[in-house]
Amino acid sequence: MVSQSTAISRAAEIAKISRTFDFILLIPILLVIIGTYHLSMILTVGDWDFWLDWKDRQWWPIVTPLMGISFPAAIQYGLWKHLRLPIGATVCTVCLLLGMAITRWFAYHLWTNYPINLVLPATLIPGALLLDFVLLTSRSFFVTAILGGMLFAAVFYPANWAIFAPFHQPVEYNGSLMTLADVSGYSYIRPGVPEYLRIIERGVLRTYDTYATPLSAFCAAVLAVPLYALWSYIGKLFSTTRFIDKF
Amino acid sequence: MKIITKRIIKFGLLGLLLFSPELFAHGERALEPFIRMRTIQWYDIQWSKNTVDVNQEIVLSGRFHVAEDWPNAMVKPDSAFLNLAIPTPVLVRTATYINGAILNNSMALKLGGDYDFKLVLKGRVPGRYHIHPMMNLRDIGVIVGPGMWIDVQGVAADFKNPVTTLAGETVDLETYGTANGILWHLVWLGIAALWLLWWLRRPMFIPRYKQTLAGDEDALITPLDRKIGGFGIIGTLVLITASFVHADQKYPESIPLQTGRAEIEPLPMKHDVAVKIKRATYRVVQRSLQLTMEVTNKSDKPVELGELNSATLRFFNPALQRFDSNYPKELAVENGLDVQPSSAISPGATATLTVKATDVAWHNQKLASITKDTDSNFGAMLFFYDNTGERYLASISAPVIPDFGTN
Ligand SMILES: [Cu+2]
Repeated sequence: MVSQSTAISRAAEIAKISRTFDFILLIPILLVIIGTYHLSMILTVGDWDFWLDWKDRQWWPIVTPLMGISFPAAIQYGLWKHLRLPIGATVCTVCLLLGMAITRWFAYHLWTNYPINLVLPATLIPGALLLDFVLLTSRSFFVTAILGGMLFAAVFYPANWAIFAPFHQPVEYNGSLMTLADVSGYSYIRPGVPEYLRIIERGVLRTYDTYATPLSAFCAAVLAVPLYALWSYIGKLFSTTRFIDKF
Repeated sequence: MKIITKRIIKFGLLGLLLFSPELFAHGERALEPFIRMRTIQWYDIQWSKNTVDVNQEIVLSGRFHVAEDWPNAMVKPDSAFLNLAIPTPVLVRTATYINGAILNNSMALKLGGDYDFKLVLKGRVPGRYHIHPMMNLRDIGVIVGPGMWIDVQGVAADFKNPVTTLAGETVDLETYGTANGILWHLVWLGIAALWLLWWLRRPMFIPRYKQTLAGDEDALITPLDRKIGGFGIIGTLVLITASFVHADQKYPESIPLQTGRAEIEPLPMKHDVAVKIKRATYRVVQRSLQLTMEVTNKSDKPVELGELNSATLRFFNPALQRFDSNYPKELAVENGLDVQPSSAISPGATATLTVKATDVAWHNQKLASITKDTDSNFGAMLFFYDNTGERYLASISAPVIPDFGTN
């Protein structure tokens, strides 16, 4: 009797310690993801994600998901492979959004006076949820790369349209046709971001006129598959348990 | 250790660049002198007032000449954007006029052309700011005009930026669409949080890792989990579609972002005074640019040289009393220009002038280093005046030879 109750209390104690350990580990991991994923997005997507008047139909929906699939694919690999947790992609995109919310609010709005709507970030969460759900249902990285990767990129534009459609309303401004987003970008002076730097609506996809958006989404979806595979492999290299196994 | 310190400095600087657009604002002396002297030559810069209330308009106007002798090392100005060197959008821009025509985007500039500009601005954030007109030039950088101190007065919270859409709705760009955007972010964040909590409520790292290691990982996923995953795919796609369709129906007239390049013809200007530079030396010790030039007066009135303006630094000939006391002090040299002979050049005549522009400002404005540039042609504008006060412009450039003062 005595020994059994000791065993129970000991198991409870271990569970408690293990749970504490969970959170001790979780918090620094989240902070590292916020910092590194966010920095990588600043360096690669940059202005397309910073500014309202850069979120066009062609480049923005290609560049953002293709650069954004990096951490979700890599972390998803590690969490699924070693812990059977289908949450890697969602964790990353939530961290990214938190990091962005902090910089946009403090650095862009409070410190440098840009209105929040001019620097609203895009969301990658819908695509990341799909990536995690597909992995959970299929239990296969191969299927996730193809189906999940394509969905991650393809849903980017439609999922963000609810946020950005209001800014695409036409305005007659100083005698020319502009969107509210263009007017905002013009009004709030950015000394370091002149108008000609905007890489928007440029390139061969223009020829397809109104089909530019679906075509961009399709391009992004196709390219997202090999990129998912690449980042998944990088995730494999980094999520080695070689060091833990020694203990 | 050294490498780590270096990286910290590098990324720290990178961070500063990323997070402070105002860093670009005061790069007025950053570019090499030959670029500042021989690209965009600013003149007649004027503010309608020095103090402006929040929501009130203020106008910055002036002209610029695009140098004929554009440096060979620089790309031609096919993409130029008239901008402001301003510490954050403390003023908003409501209109830009070039030669009287409205311009909302970038333009191509013609070498040798003169352009008149007007920037209509509105006070937004109270404070005292140093603001310059500025030209962003693609693949070159910024050419900054003379800076002035402007006071914005009032309360920042009073600022409004109304714009009326084609549908007739008037919106305030300060806040328009922000709540809707944040709401959608919160919706997706909420769904993600539920999904994460569903998993994080169970023991995570050690037990799961051990079980995976033991090859029993499939037991970590329950049939209910899998069902949720399946419904999750459908639910997410349905919500994305619904939100897209909703937004599409709410804003049926949406158009893509607008972009384009404008072509605006330079002002018609007659250049009735022709100047040929015979020799240009810069006396390093005296801080004096000395020019020997041949001036031909093709107008029908006698003309005199009143001013030399090089990269916004202005030297005035005291004999003509054309000193502009509103101009920034550090850029105006009241008695800086000596012209010999001092007599006017008669109509049709050609005269040889010796001109000395002398002041320590050459050094202070970091223009003296022209003699150390890779392309040591200097550039400037000369302003001649006839007896009726009419002005004649001549843009000049020539190789400048340093004189180190040994003789
Ligand atoms: Cu300044």
